[in-house]
Amino acid sequence: MLIELIVSFFLLVGASFALVGSIGLARLPDFFTRLHGPTKATTLGIGGVLIASVIYFSARSAGLSLHEALIALFLFMTAPISAMLLAKAAIHRKVTTRSRVPPRFER
Amino acid sequence: MPIAAIILLPLLGAALPPLVARHGRPAPAWAAALVTSAALAITLWLTPQVLAGGEIHSHRDWIPLLGLSLSFRLDGLALLFVLLITGIGLLVFLYAFYYLPAKDGLGRFYALLLLFQGAMLGIVLSDNLLLLLIFWELTSLSSFLLIAYNPQTRVARQGARMALAITAGGGLALLAGFLLLGAIVGSFELSVVLASGDLVREHPLHLPALLLILAGAFTKSAQFPFHFWLPNAMSAPTPVSAYLHSATMVKAGVFLLARLFPVFSGTETWFYLVGGVGMFTLLFGAYIAIFKHDLKGLLAYSTISHLGLITFLFGLGTPLGAVAALFHVGNHAVFKASLFMAAGIIDHETGTRDMRQINGLWRFMPYTATLAMVAAAAMAGVPLLNGFLSKEMFFAETVHTDWLGPLNWLIPTAATLAGIFAVAYSMRFIHDVFFNGAPIDLPRTPHEPPFWMKIPVAVLVAACLLIGIVPAQTVRPILDVGVDSLLGFSPDFSLAIWHGLSLPFLMSLIALLGGLALYSQRQRLFAAHDRYFPRTSGAAAFQYTVLRVRQLANDLIARIDNESLRRYVAWLIGTTIVLAATPLLLGDFHLAGERAPTPLDGIAATILLVLAVATLATVRVRRQRLRALIVISLVGLMVTLTFIHFSAPDLALTQLSVELITTVLMLLALFFLPGDPALSVSRWRHRRDLTLAAVAGLGTAIVAFALMTRTTPSISDYFLAFSKPFGGGQNVVNVILVDFRGLDTLGEITVLAIAATAIVALLWRLRLPIRAGDPTGRPWADDRHPLIMAAMSRPLLPLALTVAVFILLRGHNSPGGGFIAGLVAAVGLILQLLASGLAWTEARLRVSYFALVGVGLLLAAATGLGSLAFDRPFLTSATLHPHVSILGDLELASALAFDIGVFLVVLGTVMLILEGLGRLNRPGAANMSPRGED
Repeated sequence: MLIELIVSFFLLVGASFALVGSIGLARLPDFFTRLHGPTKATTLGIGGVLIASVIYFSARSAGLSLHEALIALFLFMTAPISAMLLAKAAIHRKVTTRSRVPPRFER
Repeated sequence: MPIAAIILLPLLGAALPPLVARHGRPAPAWAAALVTSAALAITLWLTPQVLAGGEIHSHRDWIPLLGLSLSFRLDGLALLFVLLITGIGLLVFLYAFYYLPAKDGLGRFYALLLLFQGAMLGIVLSDNLLLLLIFWELTSLSSFLLIAYNPQTRVARQGARMALAITAGGGLALLAGFLLLGAIVGSFELSVVLASGDLVREHPLHLPALLLILAGAFTKSAQFPFHFWLPNAMSAPTPVSAYLHSATMVKAGVFLLARLFPVFSGTETWFYLVGGVGMFTLLFGAYIAIFKHDLKGLLAYSTISHLGLITFLFGLGTPLGAVAALFHVGNHAVFKASLFMAAGIIDHETGTRDMRQINGLWRFMPYTATLAMVAAAAMAGVPLLNGFLSKEMFFAETVHTDWLGPLNWLIPTAATLAGIFAVAYSMRFIHDVFFNGAPIDLPRTPHEPPFWMKIPVAVLVAACLLIGIVPAQTVRPILDVGVDSLLGFSPDFSLAIWHGLSLPFLMSLIALLGGLALYSQRQRLFAAHDRYFPRTSGAAAFQYTVLRVRQLANDLIARIDNESLRRYVAWLIGTTIVLAATPLLLGDFHLAGERAPTPLDGIAATILLVLAVATLATVRVRRQRLRALIVISLVGLMVTLTFIHFSAPDLALTQLSVELITTVLMLLALFFLPGDPALSVSRWRHRRDLTLAAVAGLGTAIVAFALMTRTTPSISDYFLAFSKPFGGGQNVVNVILVDFRGLDTLGEITVLAIAATAIVALLWRLRLPIRAGDPTGRPWADDRHPLIMAAMSRPLLPLALTVAVFILLRGHNSPGGGFIAGLVAAVGLILQLLASGLAWTEARLRVSYFALVGVGLLLAAATGLGSLAFDRPFLTSATLHPHVSILGDLELASALAFDIGVFLVVLGTVMLILEGLGRLNRPGAANMSPRGED
């Protein structure tokens, strides 16, 4: 019961960060601030879900479940790189800050 | 198996000359001579046994289901031919060494000659019709390669093509004939067929079988109307003409007539067909030969005419006719080979073969002239030479023929006329070349050839004389057993030179005198021929036909193929719809089966919804390629999730890696596509495509639903039940791939390898315009390989490779296997290419992807073949269960080696394609764009 509460808590934390990140991606005014949004989703958002997963599977089976550490490791390797590449592309394309960006992500 | 050795020696020995070619020019010639001598020695060792009346047989099953066996027989008939093939072969090898230009490496030439020799020996020694046919086509192929020995010249290529089309085409007819014959008799074994003559002759299929077999024999032996390939084959080097196109290969057709003589001969059809064609070819060839200005052309038509003579003799169907035919086969081979060699010497020494230029060579090369004149006299049928004897027998047979009733006199008359022509062209060969004034405008001043070049001619001419003067002591024994194996008995015949003042002798005399008279009137004759003889020729008709067929094909292609991918896909899908819908609409089709559909769960519904939306979105943004690519990768991702959801981890892993790799490949290709993809598509086409897509999608859904709601008997149960006991693995998917359907997989990776090779070949040296910037004109970024990305991706390579090896090793029991492992490894490498560039990766990864593919294929095939060593069928797997400390219980199936092969092929193929595409934006483009540095 306690385990389930803890797992639920981390799941909710992760999910809410993912939601906030997604809203940020859609609502923030320009490219560079928008770049900010998904990073929340990938770090804290997925991080929360991973912690929940570690606890759940460690409790269900005998040993400690550490598969999730690998996922985190790969996320930490790829997320900054993709963010950096996106930023570089934006600079190259001379995307100005605070420019008017259409409100929706689509287009 | 000494008989098989006679054939195998030259066939396998063909590899020898190229191998020793670097040890100097004589080495290949010696190697070839050694091989042939060995074959000849074996034959001579067996000869006493055959002469004593014993046929030697050997038999070994090959593909019993098809009636194909490795049966050989050495009887009198075969012996005669084997001696000719090996004996004249040796002389030709010696001659060719001096004939071919000193700059030519001889390895290839002698290899091809040996290949031909082995095939020809195979024809005459086969005791199985299908086996005979294989060798038959092999001679056509080797003849093709030998005619086109100098592929630079157009004439040679054309002649080779023509010869191949006619003789190999005839071979196909022969195959059909043999199949009919086999069906009539019930066996393809020659021994059985030969004993079933009556059965065959009375069978309703007798005529079609005979016609098809004769088509094969007539094309090979250059009988009218298939004769024209032979003169066009004269662009081959002269040793080839002497060996293949006069002494041996063209005799394969008449050999076949002889072989099947006991089965088919004696009927009216046989006489009219074989005798008629033979007689016409005899006259026609002899007549045309007179007017050929080319030395080899004259000899070629003379060969056609002599082959006609032999065919005619077989056509008579009488025992003595067969004797004369066999005798003439040998005689013709001997004198015609020497004549071709002499013609080659003349060509070699004067630089031309045109008889209007070469005159009066007697003064320049008296020895060669003497030899050539004796051989030509044998060709004309002058007494005391071998040609006289067989021609005399031929004349005698024509006199005794009783097929035409009141018109019987026609046959001896025609024969005498042909004799007159033969004397005339022989006279022309002698008089025009060696006398008749002085040479005109010769490219070279002729003189005697090297001593050893004359030796083969001298040997053959000596044989002409020996056989001509003392036939009973020289050829009689071989002729006797040859005829015996043909007829089953030895008819009474005499080989005396002088039979008294008989009708045949009179005919010979008329032919000699008439020929001389005809030749003396040659100027008038040439003029008349030029004026009245029709200008059409078989060769021209052939070329015209080939041209028209090609044109027809081009027209047809132009009509179907408008290079619109849209159209092809529309046709493909439309056809599929029609094919699939017809039986469903016509039959009694119920949509739902007896199984209740599984309830819909939330996750599956979500995945499917996203899948559908993503698909529609792809259609919507199809004009913006990059965007379309991103959306379509979402489709792939959803499919992967579906696989995971329905517990298919193997499929999911594969789908994921394939998705990744194709996206990268498409991105690379996108770079080269023209900027604006806007195409004006008519409304009608839009509607057509929309309808097709909707119907196809709906149809697929209906079929899938109908199928999945039924419990159909399926092979899956078998796979599930026997995966562990038979395949030694618990991952059924993998066991199917490497074991149950191992042959399929082997075929698939072969196709992969071929595709990779084709793609590399297509991209090879391809130059595509590389734009200096993106469509809006902005130049490309300077920082092509961002440091962070390069640095972070490097540690991923060992990780990816470890994962790949892990997946590969465990694949037999858990999700994984060679295919997925290859893709994962490829992803690791692709990442390096993207992050650090092609040059960087190439400098560090010194692996030839071609070698990977090759080694992989070989490994997979070798694993399959390995089971043969244990007398198990191809690709049977074996398992071992060693326990290794860290890795745990390992399942070492032989399938693992097969899987490693698959792994290597997949990895190599992916990398070859990617590297080929990546290389495109590198060469020569340095000045055009900043991308050129890579």
